Amino acid sequence: MAEAFERLQKIQAEDVADLCLGSVFLATGGGGDPYVNQLLTEAALRSHGPVALVAASALPDAAWVLPLGEVGAPTVSLEQLPVGDEPLVALARYESATGRRVTHLIPFEVGGANSVLPLVAAAARGLPVVDGDGMGRALPEAQMMTFAIAGVPPTPAVAVDYLGNTVTFDTANVDDYERQVRHLAIAMGGMIFTAEHGMVGAHARGCVVPDTLSFAVGLGRLLRQRRGPAKDLLPELEALFASSSYGILRHLYTGKVVDIDRRVQGGFDIGEATLAPLRGPGEPLTIAIRNEYLLASCNDRVLASVPDLIVVVDSETATPINAERLAYGQRVSVLGIGCPGHYRSEPALRVVGPRCFGFDCDYVPIEDLPAGPG
Amino acid sequence: MTLRIGIDVGGTHTDAVLLDGERVRTSVKAATTADIESGVIDALQRLLAADRFDAQNVRAVMIGTTQFTNAVVERRELTPSAIVRIALPTGRLVPPKVDWPGDLAAALGDHVFMIHGGRLYDGRPLAPARDDEADAVIDAIAARELTCVAVASVFAPADAEPEHAFAERLQQRLPHVRVVRSCEFGRIGLLERENAALLNAALLPFADRVIDGFERALAARGLDCPLYISQNDGTLMDTAAARRFPALTFASGPTNSLRGAGLLTGERHAVVVDIGGTTSDIGVLRDGFPRESNLGVAIAGVRTSFRMPDILTLGIGGGSLVGAEGGRIGPRSVGHRLLQTGRAFGGDTLTATDLAIAAGHLDLGDRHRLADLPSATVRRGLATIAARIDEAVDRMRSSREPVTVILVGGGTALLSEPLSSAARTLRPEHAAVANAIGAAHAEVGAEAERIVPVAERAIALDELERQARQRVAAAGARKDLIRINDVDETAVSYMAVPTVRLRVKAVGPLDLEALAHG
Repeated sequence: MAEAFERLQKIQAEDVADLCLGSVFLATGGGGDPYVNQLLTEAALRSHGPVALVAASALPDAAWVLPLGEVGAPTVSLEQLPVGDEPLVALARYESATGRRVTHLIPFEVGGANSVLPLVAAAARGLPVVDGDGMGRALPEAQMMTFAIAGVPPTPAVAVDYLGNTVTFDTANVDDYERQVRHLAIAMGGMIFTAEHGMVGAHARGCVVPDTLSFAVGLGRLLRQRRGPAKDLLPELEALFASSSYGILRHLYTGKVVDIDRRVQGGFDIGEATLAPLRGPGEPLTIAIRNEYLLASCNDRVLASVPDLIVVVDSETATPINAERLAYGQRVSVLGIGCPGHYRSEPALRVVGPRCFGFDCDYVPIEDLPAGPG
Repeated sequence: MTLRIGIDVGGTHTDAVLLDGERVRTSVKAATTADIESGVIDALQRLLAADRFDAQNVRAVMIGTTQFTNAVVERRELTPSAIVRIALPTGRLVPPKVDWPGDLAAALGDHVFMIHGGRLYDGRPLAPARDDEADAVIDAIAARELTCVAVASVFAPADAEPEHAFAERLQQRLPHVRVVRSCEFGRIGLLERENAALLNAALLPFADRVIDGFERALAARGLDCPLYISQNDGTLMDTAAARRFPALTFASGPTNSLRGAGLLTGERHAVVVDIGGTTSDIGVLRDGFPRESNLGVAIAGVRTSFRMPDILTLGIGGGSLVGAEGGRIGPRSVGHRLLQTGRAFGGDTLTATDLAIAAGHLDLGDRHRLADLPSATVRRGLATIAARIDEAVDRMRSSREPVTVILVGGGTALLSEPLSSAARTLRPEHAAVANAIGAAHAEVGAEAERIVPVAERAIALDELERQARQRVAAAGARKDLIRINDVDETAVSYMAVPTVRLRVKAVGPLDLEALAHG
């Protein structure tokens, strides 16, 4: 099994399932189920052919890179299907509203359902997609994207709902934009599609989290081909992440879910999962949830925190488990992964650090934290 | 004396067991027949011949069957059926059956309809329903002379009114048409629920034939006790429910064999290898219950919303063809023709069973017919089987520690070599009929589910629990032993009004005393 991932030149229909599985892993519990988007993407790639991937570092200065994706409730998307052409409609409306010709598309996040959506529009329009994204994981809000952190203005932006209604945004800052777009999603069925944070290639080169689409395909392939106990897969996962901009992957805990306390607050799933050792005494692990898994601790000793990635997998199959599917009695393994360097700067930590999610602690990189309980 | 009979109607064999309380009194094996009924009659006849019990003393008969799964897998006995999805304008480019295997989609005919309507997450209409659209669909169903229809609307688990309205309109005009509503399959997840409803619709006429056959078989042997059918999660449904919901039996085979293996050995943690005629199913017992899959489970390539055991299936069974001088086993199998086409039985096809007979592990057929079989082929063939099962056990076990492996099913003789993944390998008595034993020990269960604002959560949970308990009691469980075995709560995130999805499942052992009087 390869220890490094392969940087792909293109994404083909056969890669999409692996891309989605890898994306669910990187989504750290959030991001939503990608299955319907997987179907749409596979169909688009089969009828239009593969989509070219362009390394962020190879973007021409004058390229116009457009992030494209959906905003809303992951749980809703389990039930309410997209029309299917929203990414294309959003792209077309963006171009007509701004008068710009878009040259490259890119996902908001390589997390769950959003990682494949730009491929649908890219395939139909013959556009390349940047091999990267704006998070390297999933996070809930627009200001948390590396594009926003690097100062790319969110607007002009367009949003398209399931009825084909279009809203154009022109806001003073990303916080206002996030508030407005969130309320539009709530008003229009819980899920909308947006095109936002458009930027020139020269700017994108500096703020895209690179290679994440190729990485997700490689990760998904490993998880599919080597489905089995998480502990057995650990050496290969460690090697794979070491070869990437994440750097470190570390096993934090294996146990069973003994309690899930989950409530909805301010438009988010807020909660806490408690894990206990499979047998015998030992310290419990708690994971704080706000859509994503944000903070893992043992008796108030933090083992990993946002923006580092906390991933929960089925300990018997190494299949990642979304927060909404975490259930009492499941046997799970918890992995901690270093976040890409883009999130480790002072300005980045001001919008994605633990305090942004209400935790009373500062970010400490996972490699500086204790490696496990006791 | 509380006698009951468990029957497993598999693709190849029909097994029956007679239980007195928890004790297995007698077990028999018969061949599954094309009409199913005569195979069940034969099995019951053998049971009577072997045990001479009084049919009047039998309190209940439980049948587990893979007939409905096999029908879907083999694309037979399926009735062309319409699917009506009420969700436009959403889902236009993700139509029903979009991800189905082509031949299965074709077996149900090209009868896909999409109309406007359904609900949003907040209960508002997704789009106004249009009577003209509904009538055009009903016209088409009439013109194509379809008799089975599935209807699915968005957010039906929260508000099924659009499905009810369409079903009512359809049945007013076409009273003979049977309609399956997706809300009857509970869960959030439109594609999976719609798939379940459509497969179920296509199986309705076959379900009537199968259940009729079961009932005639019981009557033919003087059994007039209640008949129950095993569901995916190891619980039972009555025959009226089984006629309406044949799709709820899809995973009952593996579930019954896992539970049966646990009951026969008393083991609560083990890997169970069920070696049948065509396949070997490898599953895991955890705390005495089948380990369920965390992912959506596909049936014959179709995603469904059913909760099912996590099963790894190998194309290795008693009827598997042997190739490459023992280097290749299966996946092709002679299936139920083993006793005609296997070499030891006078045929000319070398099967896995022939290898076990030649090696002396199995006393069946005529071993002398295999005299010219090179011993190297026998050794290599059996080693190939053991290596592939070993690898599968290794993939399914929970840790690198060697595990307890329980061998069940009719083909356990195929595995004679020790497994490196196993600390010990158990071959319990009655292993060949583990499925029938699992079926006989099944419980009854029922679910209730709803999406509610968080403010109404406590009241809703009470009400759902009461509903689930009532449904289980109505299905025949002992009232004093009904327990809530699962409460599932999922937040619908990002909503202006905090909202949760609640699901409560109640189960309980069958009330055999009440059956006796009822």
